[in-house]
Amino acid sequence: MKISRILAVTKKQFLTIKHDKRTLVLMLLSPVMAMLIFGFAFGTSPKHLQVIIVNKDKGSLAGQYINKIDHDVLSISDSTDVASSKDKVTSGDKIATIIFPSTFSADSSPTKTGMAPKGPVITPAKGAHIEVFLDTTNQQLSSVVSQAIAQAGQDFAKSKGVKTGISIDVSYAFEKTKDARYIDFFVPGIMAFAITLFTTILTLLAFVGERVTGTFDRLRVTPATEGEIVIGYEIAFGVIAAIQGALILTVALLVYNIMVVGSIALAMLFVILVAIDAQAIGILISSAAQRESQAVQFLPFIIFPIFLLSGIFVAVKSLPLWLQPFSNFLPPTWGIEALRDVMLRGWGLEHLWPHALVLAGFAVAFTLLAIFSLKRSRNQ
Amino acid sequence: MDKKVVTFSKVVKEFDGFKALNNLSFSIDEGGLYGLIGPNGAGKSTAIRIMTGLIKATEGTVDVLGYKPQEAEVRPMVGYMPQEMALYQDLTVRENLEFFGKLYSISKSDLKKRIADLLDFVELSKWGKTVVANLSGGMKHRTSLAVALLSKPRLLVLDEPTVGVDPELRASFWQRFEDMRADGTTILLTTHYMDEARRCEKIGLINHGRLIAEGTPDGLLELTKTRNLEDAFLSLTRRKIVGK
Repeated sequence: MKISRILAVTKKQFLTIKHDKRTLVLMLLSPVMAMLIFGFAFGTSPKHLQVIIVNKDKGSLAGQYINKIDHDVLSISDSTDVASSKDKVTSGDKIATIIFPSTFSADSSPTKTGMAPKGPVITPAKGAHIEVFLDTTNQQLSSVVSQAIAQAGQDFAKSKGVKTGISIDVSYAFEKTKDARYIDFFVPGIMAFAITLFTTILTLLAFVGERVTGTFDRLRVTPATEGEIVIGYEIAFGVIAAIQGALILTVALLVYNIMVVGSIALAMLFVILVAIDAQAIGILISSAAQRESQAVQFLPFIIFPIFLLSGIFVAVKSLPLWLQPFSNFLPPTWGIEALRDVMLRGWGLEHLWPHALVLAGFAVAFTLLAIFSLKRSRNQ
Repeated sequence: MDKKVVTFSKVVKEFDGFKALNNLSFSIDEGGLYGLIGPNGAGKSTAIRIMTGLIKATEGTVDVLGYKPQEAEVRPMVGYMPQEMALYQDLTVRENLEFFGKLYSISKSDLKKRIADLLDFVELSKWGKTVVANLSGGMKHRTSLAVALLSKPRLLVLDEPTVGVDPELRASFWQRFEDMRADGTTILLTTHYMDEARRCEKIGLINHGRLIAEGTPDGLLELTKTRNLEDAFLSLTRRKIVGK
């Protein structure tokens, strides 16, 4: 494998773009346009959001409160350990931990504290409180959790005739993102989606174009190997993806003032990994298309699963349980989760190495498949 | 005995049960100019694709300069000019040549000189900085030939090099082929033009994937008792030549 040949392929691709002004404009405008259009896109009603309840109440009222929680919206698991429950929120496994203190029942009800000549001495309820330890990095989900808890509190108070309010003390798993908005959650998703979409399309059309014009045959009679050609393309599209990612981030920062808690460089690394996966997918699909018009027909098969299942709009955790495993087979799912963890939670590679490993694994697997698909055509 | 540059022995190529080549055997002598002639669908392009390693034979053996066509060692020794232009339309003439030259690992200084020589050879020195998409058809053909010659190949494979080329440029191409042959380059070409076939040292006539006749142009005329190659061709194939 010769670096000069690899770089020759990379440089050729840049020269092609330089001379093809339409592609250049499309390449730069598309992510910006997508950002502006999708930025105002829809919301949804999440379900099965995973929370932990630590019920220390010595009475029975906390149990009744819990029964009022909409179990379709919140998927509840019980624990007795506050610290480990909070850790599960901080590590991203759960969205919230709800803690009912031991005095919850006592604080909710008026109590008989003595006897007076005219009857028992009734002390008014102090007013109960619960503690909620919340992950607000996904504002869409955290607001649903907060509303579900508050609604259950109102229903509970109404049914019990509790006149004093039940206060909810909220503390945040990620203090810097306690005021995160939906757009902060949305931008990392649309970044990975846009990069996947544009890179797949560009690679797909570039490779089908190579076949249609005969340049691919010409490449293959030179000493350049299929591996050198694919890796040369990967470098070119990796750089393009990084530029697109930077553009999207710039628009997101300037127009939407989004939060970036973690390292932008690390976010770019994940953008590049997503792009490498996408371009390898593009090469793979190109082997099934004889013309550009055929290639375009494959796009819905890429777009819709990614659009619906990779967590762009709805967190994967709130998808129907039967659908969730499919998400794991989509590289953008891992890219989007990692980008959100970097940008909103401020996590580094010490937390996100599994995501990087999975994306790199996809990249290696898809690259090998792409090389194999090119070699296979030689053996036909 | 002449040294063979290309040898096809009982080569069969099947596509989904259809035999594009059916026990095709022929050979090309070193320094020769061999014309592979046949009607559309006869198997000429399939033979060329096997010769250049783009596809594999289903059966039989193929030897190109002592190697199997798909071996990496033989690739720098074979120049290939496909029927279509096969150029990057958005790159300039020089950028196309530089790109393919780098794939042949030609050093920077050698490549610079080689490109200058080739541009001079195909009379495109003034057009080096022009984007290929903006060239005339003839200029694109000449650029394509220049790319095929980058590695100074010992064997030059030309698939219908003069299709769609005006008579003047065709004459110019043939002059170049003769020049290259004089320099020791072995040339194989396919063509529909019988007047061009007449200029080949040896002709292989294929139909339905088989070699049905082979020899010098004069030899084929004598064999078929005809006055021109067109009649000889028709006599041997018993069919009309499509598009001619």
